Amino acid sequence: MKELIQKAASLLETNVVQVVIGYGKGSADRTRAIFSTTAADCEQLIFDSRCIQNLAVYLTKAEIKKMGKPAIVAPLPVLRSILQLAAENQITDDSLVVLGVSPESELIEFESLAAIETYLATKQIAIEEKYQTTIKAIKAMPVSERFAYWVKELEPCFKCYACRAACPLCYCTRCTVENNQPQWISVASHSLGNLEWHIMRAMHLAGRCTDCEACYNACPMGIPIYLLTKSMLQDVSENFGTYGPSLHRDNTLSSFNPDDKESFIR
Amino acid sequence: MSKIGVFICHCGENISATVDVVRVAEAAGKLEGVEFSTDYKYMCSDPGQTLIKQMIKEKGLTGVIVAACSPRMHEPTFRKACSSAGLNPYMCEMSNLREHCSWVHDKSEATTQKAIDLVRTLVGKVKYNKPLYSIKVPVTKTALVIGGGIAGIQSSLDIANAGHQVVLVEKDPSIGGHMSQLSETFPTLDCSQCILTPRMVEVAQHPNIKLLTYAELEKLEGFIGNFKATIRKKAKSIDEDLCTGCGTCITKCPTKKIPSEFNTGLGKRTAIYVPFPQAVPNKPVIDKENCLYYKNGKCKICEKVCPTGAIRFDQEDELVELEVGAVVVATGFDVMEPSKFSEYGYGKYKDVITGLQFERLASASGPTLGEIRRPSDGKIPEKIVFVACAGSRDPSKGKPYCSKICCMYTAKHAMLYQHKVHHGESTIFYMDIRSAGKNYEEFVRRAIVEDDVKYIRGRVSKVYEENGKLIVKGVDTLLNAKPVEIQADMVVLATAAVANSGAEELAQKMHISYDAYNFFSEAHPKLKPVETNTAGIFLAGACQAPKDIPETVSQASGAAAKVAILFSQDELSREPVVAVVNRSAPPLYSTCVGCFMCATACPYQAIGEELITNRKGEVIKRVAKVNPGLCQGCGTCVAFCRSKSIDIDGYSNEQMYSEVMALLND
Repeated sequence: MKELIQKAASLLETNVVQVVIGYGKGSADRTRAIFSTTAADCEQLIFDSRCIQNLAVYLTKAEIKKMGKPAIVAPLPVLRSILQLAAENQITDDSLVVLGVSPESELIEFESLAAIETYLATKQIAIEEKYQTTIKAIKAMPVSERFAYWVKELEPCFKCYACRAACPLCYCTRCTVENNQPQWISVASHSLGNLEWHIMRAMHLAGRCTDCEACYNACPMGIPIYLLTKSMLQDVSENFGTYGPSLHRDNTLSSFNPDDKESFIR
Repeated sequence: MSKIGVFICHCGENISATVDVVRVAEAAGKLEGVEFSTDYKYMCSDPGQTLIKQMIKEKGLTGVIVAACSPRMHEPTFRKACSSAGLNPYMCEMSNLREHCSWVHDKSEATTQKAIDLVRTLVGKVKYNKPLYSIKVPVTKTALVIGGGIAGIQSSLDIANAGHQVVLVEKDPSIGGHMSQLSETFPTLDCSQCILTPRMVEVAQHPNIKLLTYAELEKLEGFIGNFKATIRKKAKSIDEDLCTGCGTCITKCPTKKIPSEFNTGLGKRTAIYVPFPQAVPNKPVIDKENCLYYKNGKCKICEKVCPTGAIRFDQEDELVELEVGAVVVATGFDVMEPSKFSEYGYGKYKDVITGLQFERLASASGPTLGEIRRPSDGKIPEKIVFVACAGSRDPSKGKPYCSKICCMYTAKHAMLYQHKVHHGESTIFYMDIRSAGKNYEEFVRRAIVEDDVKYIRGRVSKVYEENGKLIVKGVDTLLNAKPVEIQADMVVLATAAVANSGAEELAQKMHISYDAYNFFSEAHPKLKPVETNTAGIFLAGACQAPKDIPETVSQASGAAAKVAILFSQDELSREPVVAVVNRSAPPLYSTCVGCFMCATACPYQAIGEELITNRKGEVIKRVAKVNPGLCQGCGTCVAFCRSKSIDIDGYSNEQMYSEVMALLND
């Protein structure tokens, strides 16, 4: 990724940005996020198939914002998150430089966030068949069985909130679960508390989640929480038409379109 | 620590007959935070209210719960009573033991237990009530009236005569609306224009009315007392100050064969035109779509002949911004496009016409100068068949409602015809005759008895042409469904009254609700017939539902009265039940992260942004801000906010949680 390193270095040298958020070598065979502030730092940038963390999560962190204007290495999932963050007024054209990386590992430079939207229009989110089958099977279960399924699946959760920390769309400075006046969501990691937490998280991502799977990758217990968000994504897509982040389309769940099927209330 | 007083009302026997009110009062008295509880026969009576006031003073109550009827009925009564005893009115709440309990259940232990539960949950809430203070909003004392038909004219005149400024916006070149197209009016048969035109002139001359014709609403922002309207003044292509209305341009215009909208296509007009002789303002506009110059770049004859040089081909649409305090929507109705009725042959046979077209034929200002002549060959028809309910009361045509005016105007049409063509024969096919109204039934009787109009109860199945006659096939359901066939010279369809084609778009621009047929919805079908669900926007006339002239005028005056009431105050007092974005200690300042999803969800456009700054004026944070003047307290934003950064005053998360917990933790 010589091209990426060169571009990142020149952005820092010309002071267009003050930090480059990218992937570097981590422990063992893993990669981790690195924050380059000098052209020399950029030599450590890597990009390969191991780079699955969603770096967009750093764009809204106060610590990173303090470092100045960022450039960000952005493969497809990161691009989608960037667009959703823009739709949610968290970033603007002027607030960052996006170093896009195509699925073929080519560097793509984007003039604007609108250009990202144009690019992503050809790369629609698609839920893999194996997940679709699982979701279908779960939905087909009788309510009591489905309830038992989720109680069991969520049982290992010990509320480390890694899923929240890894999610680029969980950027609230105070999460609902930390709101204790009143305490709507139980903080304890018993069955009820776990259910409340994961249902709440899925609901808060409904119509927003861009299916990057960062939450699942971060979960130390390997809980298939992506099933909730993927299922929600499917529901939104089925009920309200095409899904995906957009700068010009109104937010799905808070806007009205005369063409909405609204089959759920008829 | 709360000191709540609980007052259980018997409501005569309405509550006490099914609920053991003494036990409810006892149970309430044992609840934590309740200082005093009692039951009383009529809490809303003077002694009942005095009891509350007395207890507030005696026991130092910090909250009051009146468990009685719906808060819709008496919440203001009890809040005022509390206020006069020195307690903030928003510390007083009502538990609805009547509609929610005694009226809907039989007398039983469970009913009493439910009443106790209802009171207990509200005690849970009231513990967290905080004093609130009503919100003051200034009022701009100018009204915007949209639509210059009789409804808009009446509203404008009434508001203007009350001493307030009015801007009347009309999309056509002249005010007058459908009423100006009518020949005579039922049930008095007085000439429509004769009674309307004086009002039109009065509008033009009124010092408090600013008239904008050939103009439409582009945008409406703001809230009650403080709207900002953007009006698009379409280019008339003339300088109105210079034009004297002499009409030379109209006589010389070479494009003379444009179907006249005013004459419902039965007459022709020129490209530069005044819709009708009594038009207000009586100055022409150029119809750009049909003008030779706009089409081909050649002609300009009107410019050459204009004695004052008033023609302006380069004029462009102009956007005018207005500050107004109230809006009256009076955009009227349209008649259903009858091409939907292939069985009646409209569009196929020239002599099948609509009721509105018949009005033009009967009108002295119409294309036949008031003589009833059929459109195809100009002959005087010897036999006319009128078809009532053409589209109305017909779910298959998508209009299951009754258009209300057709029975009356059809009787009038037949009558006018009989008066003009003495030997003529008129037959009306009808479903039912609906003539409820002062002197209406007498009018219909007169048509039948004095003018010999034949009424056949039944529907028409088909109209077709044969040997120059229109064969009308129908059925007489009063004669054992006997088939009827009439050879007519002309057929008049009483087509359904429908909403204007642009009604839906207009409603969306103003954020008012509309029904399945695109008629605008009133706030309450009985008690708020001229208000919309958006405060400060009122309805007048047939844009709300089909109406006749007297009803339209009454509603228009009603809407005007509402505007005058609104304008009688310099400031508006609003319920302080509004959403508020929280503030917290630094470094957060607010837990709002500024995603503005709440703004996308708000149905009232009440959410904007606020920049939190430090003492140097530097921006620390950009957060959502709710405009208390616009917010209706619906709570959609509260539910939508992921970080729970918004609360509704009077219905905070804390209050709701406490209420739910009180119910669950029995």
